[in-house]
Amino acid sequence: MEVKSTMSINKFMKGAVTGWMASHGEHSDIVMSTRIRLARNLRGYRFPIAFTPEEAQKVDASIAAALLNSDENGYAYMKMSELPSLERQVLVEKHLISPQLIDTKRHGAVLLSKDETLSIMVNEEDHIRIQCIYPGFQLENAYDHADTVDNYLENELPYAFDEDFGYLTSCPSNTGTGMRASVMMHLPALTITKQIDRIIPAISRLGMVVRGSYGEGSEAPGNIYQVSNQTTLGKPEKEILSDLKNVALRLIAHERRSREILLSKSRVALENKLFRSLGIITFARLLPSGEAARCLSDVRLGIDLGIIEDVDMSILNELMIFMQPGFLQQYAGSELTAEERDIFRATLFRERLSAEQHEEENDKEN
Amino acid sequence: MNCDNCKERPASVIFTQESMSGTTERHLCEKCAFQSQMFHFDPNQEPLSIQQFLSHWFGVNDSAQPFQQSRDSMPEGPTCPDCQLSFRKFLDIGKFGCPTCYDTFRERLPRIFSKLHNGHTTHVGKIPVSFNELFAVKKKIDEIRLKMQEAIDEERFEDAAALRDEAKALKHRLAECSDGGEEHDVN
Repeated sequence: MEVKSTMSINKFMKGAVTGWMASHGEHSDIVMSTRIRLARNLRGYRFPIAFTPEEAQKVDASIAAALLNSDENGYAYMKMSELPSLERQVLVEKHLISPQLIDTKRHGAVLLSKDETLSIMVNEEDHIRIQCIYPGFQLENAYDHADTVDNYLENELPYAFDEDFGYLTSCPSNTGTGMRASVMMHLPALTITKQIDRIIPAISRLGMVVRGSYGEGSEAPGNIYQVSNQTTLGKPEKEILSDLKNVALRLIAHERRSREILLSKSRVALENKLFRSLGIITFARLLPSGEAARCLSDVRLGIDLGIIEDVDMSILNELMIFMQPGFLQQYAGSELTAEERDIFRATLFRERLSAEQHEEENDKEN
Repeated sequence: MNCDNCKERPASVIFTQESMSGTTERHLCEKCAFQSQMFHFDPNQEPLSIQQFLSHWFGVNDSAQPFQQSRDSMPEGPTCPDCQLSFRKFLDIGKFGCPTCYDTFRERLPRIFSKLHNGHTTHVGKIPVSFNELFAVKKKIDEIRLKMQEAIDEERFEDAAALRDEAKALKHRLAECSDGGEEHDVN
């Protein structure tokens, strides 16, 4: 009975894992993923904030036609209005679409590449949002990928572009390159030692923004921060990328140093904290999302420091996504109350972590 | 919090109204805030706060800002012919309504971009290939015109006529390219 449910969890997760959750890529112990977003609009149409439903449909149809006719990628095309709300929520939790896209009156749609590395949102704040997410720290690779798609689209559809202002976007904060590059970083040692509070204002003076991983606000559940460029005008794309890269590299160095200090000054206390967290996610029967995020952060740090050895990092990445309400309910196959979700989350964690041990044992036997 | 008007989308713009009886606030989503002008905008009924825009969009609360004017004297400014967005409304919602807004507000934008983008006001990044071609066509027309003048000066009128036709054809193509919307191909 237990084995059966374990298998079904594995199957469910394998179907739901998306490219950027892999645990490889440079500096992947600290930089979890890299994202590039390009905002583009079509010439001759008003922006989604002001367009008519007829314009919306035309924009949607021409973008979809251009991309679906390209034989290279094999995109899956989904209209928001035709997608059940739970599935939309799951796409948001996988960071493949933004919460804003769900406003069905704008005729929002998304085109997803097979490996889900690439998602092209149609009629979000702008007509086109090309988004590319890679695991680890891969700014150049992610940009090159997004750039290729941009070149293809530009050849098919006329963009709104201006000699002075560059790519014209609905929000003046995106005008110019239309590019937002961001890296998602796990910074537990900088958070524990409170150094992050001094670093965030310093970074903002360099034209970069640091926020919690779930968008606005500085609260960072699970010690995960998103660092991104703020300015899109007056600098070429490559320079924005290299500035962001330098800031991220400095953060990585700071974080590593703080980890070493923590380890040398209070090893037992640190080990105690990390192993307790492993205990919680392995055995808890009720697991609220805040506690789950905190414990996942601890276990991740434990693996990075070589303190916790027999847990696979990619499972932590999966659990981080699957602990969210949309996923839990999709797995359960029904809507769940908050308490039911906490129970379900605890079950999911327990079974996923024990399934991993079963697999390891089987590997040893074979 | 959802929009006070459509009750569907999340509210992201706050309108404050000050009257004898006190201050009232309306929380609207971007779409309703935008449409509020086109359908039932009355400047006396809903005075819009420029400070709010500046603090919200530029992160500046300093009262000595260039846009700081008394509400009554703040004019609507130019209005975009394509989407009917006025400059004042643009400041309030912090979004352009269409590509033409950029043309309509062109002279006023460097000041805003400078605040948003660390002092920068001009794009120096990627240029779409089609625009490179557009520039190339413009340049070519200029060259042909020069050659045509030379031909006329040297009384090679047949050459001049051929060049004139060539320039005309290129100008036609240029008009097609920059027309926008319908013309998808610049080649």
